[in-house]
Amino acid sequence: MTRVRSRPSGRIARLRRACTALLLAAGPALADETCQSPYMVRITGVEDFVYVWTLGVEGLGDGSDKLVTVDVREGSPTFGRPIHAAPVGGRHEAHHGGFTDDRRQFWAAGLSDSRIFIFDVATDPAKPRLVRVIDDFVEKSGGAAGPHGAYALPGRMLIPSLSNKDGTGKAALVEYSNGGDYIATHWLPTAEAPNGAANAAVADGYGYDARVLPRRNVMLTSSFTGLDNYMRPLPELMKDAEAMKRFGQTMVVWDFHARQPRTVLHVPGVPLEIRWAWGPQHSYAFTSTALTSQIWLVHEEAGGAWRAKPVADIGDPAALPVPVDISLSADDSTLFVDTFMDGTTRVFDVSDPHRPKQIYEKKIGAQLNMVSQSWDGRRIYYTSSLLANWDKTGAENEQFLKAYAWDRKELTPRFSIDFTAERLGRPHMMAFGARSLYAN
Amino acid sequence: MRPAALLLLAAALAPGAPARGHEGHRPATGRDTAAPAAAAFPLPAPGTYRLPPIRPAAGGAVLDEAGRRLDLLGDALRGRVSVLALIYTRCGDVCPLANADMARLQDLAARDPGLSGRMRLVTLSVDPEHDTPEVMRAFAATWRSPDPAAPAWRFLTAPDRAALAPVLAAYDQRVDARPEAAGGGLSHLFRAFLIDRDGRIRNIYSLDFFDPALVLTDVRTLLIEEARGR
Repeated sequence: MTRVRSRPSGRIARLRRACTALLLAAGPALADETCQSPYMVRITGVEDFVYVWTLGVEGLGDGSDKLVTVDVREGSPTFGRPIHAAPVGGRHEAHHGGFTDDRRQFWAAGLSDSRIFIFDVATDPAKPRLVRVIDDFVEKSGGAAGPHGAYALPGRMLIPSLSNKDGTGKAALVEYSNGGDYIATHWLPTAEAPNGAANAAVADGYGYDARVLPRRNVMLTSSFTGLDNYMRPLPELMKDAEAMKRFGQTMVVWDFHARQPRTVLHVPGVPLEIRWAWGPQHSYAFTSTALTSQIWLVHEEAGGAWRAKPVADIGDPAALPVPVDISLSADDSTLFVDTFMDGTTRVFDVSDPHRPKQIYEKKIGAQLNMVSQSWDGRRIYYTSSLLANWDKTGAENEQFLKAYAWDRKELTPRFSIDFTAERLGRPHMMAFGARSLYAN
Repeated sequence: MRPAALLLLAAALAPGAPARGHEGHRPATGRDTAAPAAAAFPLPAPGTYRLPPIRPAAGGAVLDEAGRRLDLLGDALRGRVSVLALIYTRCGDVCPLANADMARLQDLAARDPGLSGRMRLVTLSVDPEHDTPEVMRAFAATWRSPDPAAPAWRFLTAPDRAALAPVLAAYDQRVDARPEAAGGGLSHLFRAFLIDRDGRIRNIYSLDFFDPALVLTDVRTLLIEEARGR
């Protein structure tokens, strides 16, 4: 086993360190989501736009899934307004997506029919343009289905799936080149096919998020449920005791470079979003468990082993608040946690990651899902939709994007957009855009 | 080591050096994996993992240090495992880091006598207006190891921007002029490519992950694959 930089090459290495330090010390302040891939180009300055991957609603506007551009430039005559929509035609259970490493494309995935929509966001950042549709994801991947996120790696994209062609929860990680060419499929380990993973007796094969800590060569994955569950109406699903057993209970630590699972961690209660800490000595990540309403810490121990443990409750777990999205500040000090059922955001002081303490909470709406913050942590954005068949109904089916300023004490409203009144649909994932990225 | 190369790198670090931000962004605060204090991690043993083909490597008209016209793929890449880095010589920020990594890679490979004849390094300039064959020749003298045991390292440029454009497009490499930058700054996202002897791209590295030990592990993995006859 070799070690990177185990044999530093003297003067070149020292100068490299000095140069890196200089680069880190120079330049303007950053602003970006804190949950983006570390391989990705970053925005300098304040974000200009928030792109919202939006589920179409039958009879509302064109009824199509679409990428909506919201103008968030203070002082702009259209500040706080949707200024463009790029429909993809039809409804595909729009869910998550992500930029390529050069941030020239945004890949947006549909959970129901496994289509991936690729938008050019560089030519005119205010008006993303659909340039390609990958419609053979299931066939090319060897049976993976339900593409979930899209995570930038150098020159390629990593697409974690939620399901497979049979609709169960056996999931995979699928790689594409930035050009949209299929590269490889890596199935999540199961007890029957552990693929070398330790502690494989608990491996359940479910998938959800996949994120990399490059400096430790570690990828972490989490687990949700398959297509046959997530496309069912939630009230019906929750009455089906057998179906409710088919949810993820694990996270997997991978050798990222080899794309091989190293160990399976037992994290009961459906661990969803993963947020790696940013600090150079912070080898840990947070997740939240949807059904048990806990914050879990996944951390590296002194000997190099990885452990997972619950470190805080989110609200009253007995009331099933269902934590969904989380967002860690760039300085690793605060963690935002949204809970869907009570429409509330909570802020935890996680400066001691082993002992998070809630320091703030605010009800944002009748239902709440995603939260995105700028790199400086001063601007926070929320959206409402979870899944078409899981969103609340009637008056509680609020569909919004709400923007706030955050001064580490209070969320102060900046603007709000009613996506139903605007006849746009159900807003889900948000990503930031800026013209400065493409100044040339 | 290469004193001239070190002087060049030091010059890049000196006050008043050309603007550095040619990637259009800073490395991520705290997340920058080039930071050496945070870089030690175990690598898998060569040959214990797969490097699936990503796409065919592209060719195109290029010039070598003597001004000879070559095809990038047919004459400079195919036939040996190659590490291709796209840089430009006037670059004052990330390219010197990448050049230093290429130099370290060459040094590391030189220690394995079975390796140097089966791999090569290729540096291609993305700035043909300035980086003529003569400039690349001088640049090569700065960086290339004189050690006869070291693998070959070719320094190439394009005849002109029109000839370079399809090469950049094929490698998904966007390069833009930065009018505001002194000294002919360009904006590009550094990438290096691992290319097998059959001309297929097998890995793509950002600067953050362009570590010589890791790249050499990948090179050895491809050589083991060759030996096994795939």
